[in-house]
Order: sequence, then C-alpha cells, then structure tokens
Amino acid sequence: MNYQYIEQLIERYFECQTTLHEEQILRTFFAGEDVPGHLMQYAELFQSEVNAKAETLGDEFDRKMLALVQEESNKTVQKQKRTTEKPQNRATEHRLAPFFRAAAVVAIALTVGRATDHALRDQAAEGTEDAIAIDPYIRQADIQNAIRVKDISQAKAKPQTDSLIVQPLNETMQ
Amino acid sequence: MDFSHDILPLKNVLFRTALRITLNREDAEDIVQDTLLKLWERRDTLGNIQNLEAFAITAARNLALDRKELAHNKVIPLNEQEHDQPDKHQLSVHESLVQEEKINHIFELINQLPEKQRTAIQLREIEGKTYREIADIMNTTEADVKINIYRGRNFLKNHCNFSAAEPSSL
Repeated sequence: MNYQYIEQLIERYFECQTTLHEEQILRTFFAGEDVPGHLMQYAELFQSEVNAKAETLGDEFDRKMLALVQEESNKTVQKQKRTTEKPQNRATEHRLAPFFRAAAVVAIALTVGRATDHALRDQAAEGTEDAIAIDPYIRQADIQNAIRVKDISQAKAKPQTDSLIVQPLNETMQ
Repeated sequence: MDFSHDILPLKNVLFRTALRITLNREDAEDIVQDTLLKLWERRDTLGNIQNLEAFAITAARNLALDRKELAHNKVIPLNEQEHDQPDKHQLSVHESLVQEEKINHIFELINQLPEKQRTAIQLREIEGKTYREIADIMNTTEADVKINIYRGRNFLKNHCNFSAAEPSSL
C-alpha cells in the first residue's frame, strides 16, 4: 500500500484541505488492520471519531417521545374542537340576539318606569307629608283651636256683647 | 409531516451535538426532547425549511448553549473556568466499546476544546457535514468554521502525539 498517499492526506487533513470523501478514506484506512507503526499515533483520532456514532438514544427515548407527541396532538385536537365549538355558540347567540334585545328594552322600560314612578311618588309623598305633618295636626289643631276659640269667643262675645249691653246696667247696679 | 418518519430520526445527530456542548447525557437528552417537540409543534410551517436537519441542529445547539449559560450563571466552578469537564456519567457511555481507554482519552481531549471548536469538529468528523453546512448551522462564516476545525484538529494531533509518545519514552 502506498503510505505516501495516506501521509499526504493526513498532512492536508490538519491543514483543513481534505474533502469529506478524503476524510472518509482516512477513517477507512485507520479502521483497517494494516496501519504502519509510524502512523499509529493518528489511529486513535480517526477510530474514535467513527466510534462516536455509538452515542445514540435508545428505544426507550422513542417511546417517551411518541407518548409526548400523542399528548401534544391530543391537546391540539381538543383546541381545534374548542375552536369549532365557538362558532356554534356564536350562531346560537345570533339566533337569540332579538330576544336579548327585547329583554334589554323591557328591562330599560321597567327601570325607567320604576324610577319615574318612584320619583313621582316621592314628590307626592313630600306633598302629603307637608299636608299631613304640618297642616293636619298643627294647623288642624290650630284651626280647631281657632274654631273653638272662635266659638268660645263668639260664645263669649255674645254674652260680652250682651254684657256690654248689660254692663252699663251692672255698673249702674253696682 | 410524520413524527416517527420525519422528525424522530434526527434524535441521534441532535443528541451527539447537544452532548458535545453540555457534556452531560441527561441534559443532552432533555435538549433533544425539547427540540423534537418544538419541531413537531411547528410542523405546519416546517415545509418552508430547506434543510430540516440543519435547522434542527441549530435549534438544539441554541438550547444547549442557553442551558449551559444558565448553569454557568448559577455556579461558577473555580477549576472549570477554562475548560468544560465531562461528568462521570458521560464517560460511562463508552464503557462497552473495545478501545475504551483510548476513546475516553480522545473524547476527553475533544471536550477540552472551546465550544465552537468542539461543535465544528463534531459536525465535521462525526456527522460528515460540509464547511458550508456547518457555517449555516453555527450561524457563522465558512472561514470561521475552518479556523475552528483547524485549531481543534491540531490541538488533538499534538495531544495524541503526546499520549502515543509516552509508552515509547518509558
């Protein structure tokens, strides 16, 4: 075998001048039995690089990955289901929209109605409160008093007028 | 877009890329899981992406770098400021391999490289990407990728020489 060619390849290899194909020739050469003593020092380098391919992940990793992927695709299926369900919900919403609107109008009408009703009642209550709280008990009493006083005074007044008439008589009697 | 057919097969290239950055198997596995799930969630828009694998590697790398930065902000180990150290779990990955010690040694060396060199080396040597593809994945220029790979390869060469020379000098 022509070692000169191999030696030349090794030299070019360390200069980064070799092609991938030439580097493969070197690996094949060093994997063989007939490596001369003066090149044995490089054997380690080229052999170990071939053996590095032994660094792999086994079947257990595959099983784990496939389970994870299954889980992931289940999730996406669920997501897709959810996204397809949503338009249906929207469709029912669309169909029910007039009812919602009607309900809203009724609700507004009720609220406004109740509010105005309440406000009016409040006003009325205020009015009657005035009438009841101030007039009936105080004024009516006053009125009653006034009436009574009037009655009394009228009653007195009559005698008074009588007495006025009589007074001079009394005075004259006394 | 089928998960088992189009996305899941990316797991190993993503795992190795993430592992090269985090140097921790569990973290790398988490990153792959997150990346694959994100791709799957965006499956409707992935048709526009020309190179899904490159896109996925970029995403995984960014996640790994974010995670690394977060971890780095939390605890700044005094003895790990210069180089990232692989954890014990990471080392046990290669236990079943024949040339266990030697391979551990070369991986220890690779893991001592700065992240850019490590990732570029990983994508070139292990995943067999062109400089152009690596530049796209790492969001940089081809020249920058070449410099990083050049430095990485020469660092490994010098340290391999050292370890190979040791037995003969004894």
